[in-house]
Amino acid sequence: MLHSRILLAAAFALLPLAAGAETPGVSHDEITVGSIQDLSGPIAMLGAPVRDGMLMRFEEANASGGVHGRRLRLVVEDAGYDPKRAVLAARKLIQRDRVFAFLSNMGTPVVMASMPMIVEAGRPHLFPFSPHEATYLPLHPLKFQIYAPYQDYMAAATDYMVKTHEYSRTCLLYQDDDYGLEVMKGVEAGLARQGRRLTERTSYKRGATDFSSQIARLRAAGCDLVVLATVVRETVAAMTEARKLGWEVDMLVTASGYSAQTHALGGPAVEGLYGVSVLPHPYAEGATPELAAWVARYRERFGAAPNVWSVMGYTAADLLVQAAQAAGPELTVEGFRVALENLQIRPDIFGGPVYRFSADDHLGNRSGRLAQIRNGRWQLISDYLH
Amino acid sequence: MLTFLQVLTSGIAIGCVYGLVALSFVLIYKATETISFMQGDLLMLGAFTVLALNAGVGLPLWLAIALGLGLMVGLGAGLERSVLRRALGQPHLTAVLLTFGLGLMMRGALTAVPAASHSMHRLGQPADEALRLGGLALAPAHLMVIGATLLVAGALALFFRHTRLGLALRACSEDPRAAALSGVPVAAMHTLAWALGAGLAAFAGLLLAPITFIHLNMGLIALKAFPAAVLGGMSSLSGALAAGVFLGVVEALAGLALPEGAKDMVPYLLLMGALLLFPNGLGSAAGRERAR
Repeated sequence: MLHSRILLAAAFALLPLAAGAETPGVSHDEITVGSIQDLSGPIAMLGAPVRDGMLMRFEEANASGGVHGRRLRLVVEDAGYDPKRAVLAARKLIQRDRVFAFLSNMGTPVVMASMPMIVEAGRPHLFPFSPHEATYLPLHPLKFQIYAPYQDYMAAATDYMVKTHEYSRTCLLYQDDDYGLEVMKGVEAGLARQGRRLTERTSYKRGATDFSSQIARLRAAGCDLVVLATVVRETVAAMTEARKLGWEVDMLVTASGYSAQTHALGGPAVEGLYGVSVLPHPYAEGATPELAAWVARYRERFGAAPNVWSVMGYTAADLLVQAAQAAGPELTVEGFRVALENLQIRPDIFGGPVYRFSADDHLGNRSGRLAQIRNGRWQLISDYLH
Repeated sequence: MLTFLQVLTSGIAIGCVYGLVALSFVLIYKATETISFMQGDLLMLGAFTVLALNAGVGLPLWLAIALGLGLMVGLGAGLERSVLRRALGQPHLTAVLLTFGLGLMMRGALTAVPAASHSMHRLGQPADEALRLGGLALAPAHLMVIGATLLVAGALALFFRHTRLGLALRACSEDPRAAALSGVPVAAMHTLAWALGAGLAAFAGLLLAPITFIHLNMGLIALKAFPAAVLGGMSSLSGALAAGVFLGVVEALAGLALPEGAKDMVPYLLLMGALLLFPNGLGSAAGRERAR
């Protein structure tokens, strides 16, 4: 009898301790953050630099004493763009690693499969690489996003291009899947703002090799602006085909074609291509001293030149660090949410957008800016478009 | 009219690549009665091998191509000697699954190389100016593909008609038993067929490189080449090549003339139609006409 009473008393005495250590992934000297990446699948070209960008920001934070004395630890799981593996990875990160939050999970199939489980476990789901509305709508206390759907960027970009260049016949070459259709909706919305409609549209299947018939069709329609809902390879192929025929039409590609690979592979043929940029590519030449130093540090740490994906990973990690800092020494999920919603974010060294969250809007940015390939590199030619 | 010719030339060029890969399917099938599902992966591996020799090791392009093709021929022979030979006498499915697995292994091995999985690559310099014939603009890459395909087809024809080795390979694919009785080393001929098949696929990969660049998914083109091989009758080398070019042209022209979306259906509709009307392939149908 006495024994059980002592045990009970001991149990009660331990309760406050358990409550104090309630926030998973947060100990007195460490914050564990999880990320489900694609390091081996079809978009490993994106996953590796995103991971490196996040790692770099966390290492910098740790080198300057951590966040309120806590070191940041990133646990990366490779799901290879596969929703089944994503679910396993999410479970492992929640149960075994007990991560505080998920950062920059990669790919729409991965995100759609794992997000419900993650928010149900009470973990913040931050800035996934999936331009899908479900990542921030309907408003959910744990879901935050900084990448708008393609539709939003493309509506603004098309509107701006048609207004400033007075194009009268806008056409579209699109990939025949969700991505292409989403861009089409955006382009149509942008044209509607100018009281115009698409003159011609033509599609291709993923993995197509030849664009001669599509370009011939668009040329016959007399387009004066061709919007490309393509990825890097198809962008280069379409533009090369047009230039081969001597058709000097203006082309505008989505953020998926805004990559240094576009001009590296396309060479002179893609000169003059317009693109939508969500975050600028970190070129080493002509960089500000801060950016040049950042590029040099990245190169030294990872043995490769950073690209726009590295910047995205770094930026996402930076937002997490800023919000955790603002949440104060007692880090809880609730405190983190409030801090992120009220965060005053300062402009970064990359020229990226100034993100802004609020209690009723968890999408931090809706605008991209226009860029053009001039002298073999992307140059920004407009401010952020709304 | 000009647009028509323009699209036609692009179609012929892509069709040549389909044809070459189809040729490699048929070559192997005729000699060994195995359908190889690793031709797409061999194509990709061949392109990456030459790229590695050229950009990685720093060999001049011509030497990298020669050495790379040599290595791929060696790989084909080596795979036959070590693995594929053991599938002889087993049910057909064994060999098919074996090639499928080998293809997956090649892909998996390549994804382990960061430079290969993380970006696309170009072989040599960006393409030069297009060649102009009147109003017609011809891409150098397309002309090269067509020229190289003609060259390879000619060389193969000479090989099969006028060399002892070629004749032996043909004899072996017509009737292995009779060939063996007349002193043809059948096992060695199998090795030769796999080696040539791998070399042809790799060659097709090199021709594709300036058009679609070198990346992990470039082997998907085999999905179009396989219908070409079937359309050609699976047993006729010239039929496979012709069917490849035919598919390329039809696909391109369908994109120009038919409503949006039809382009990707047409090759498969044609394949189904041809299989219904000529179950032994267009090649054998043409042969029957001649025999009559």
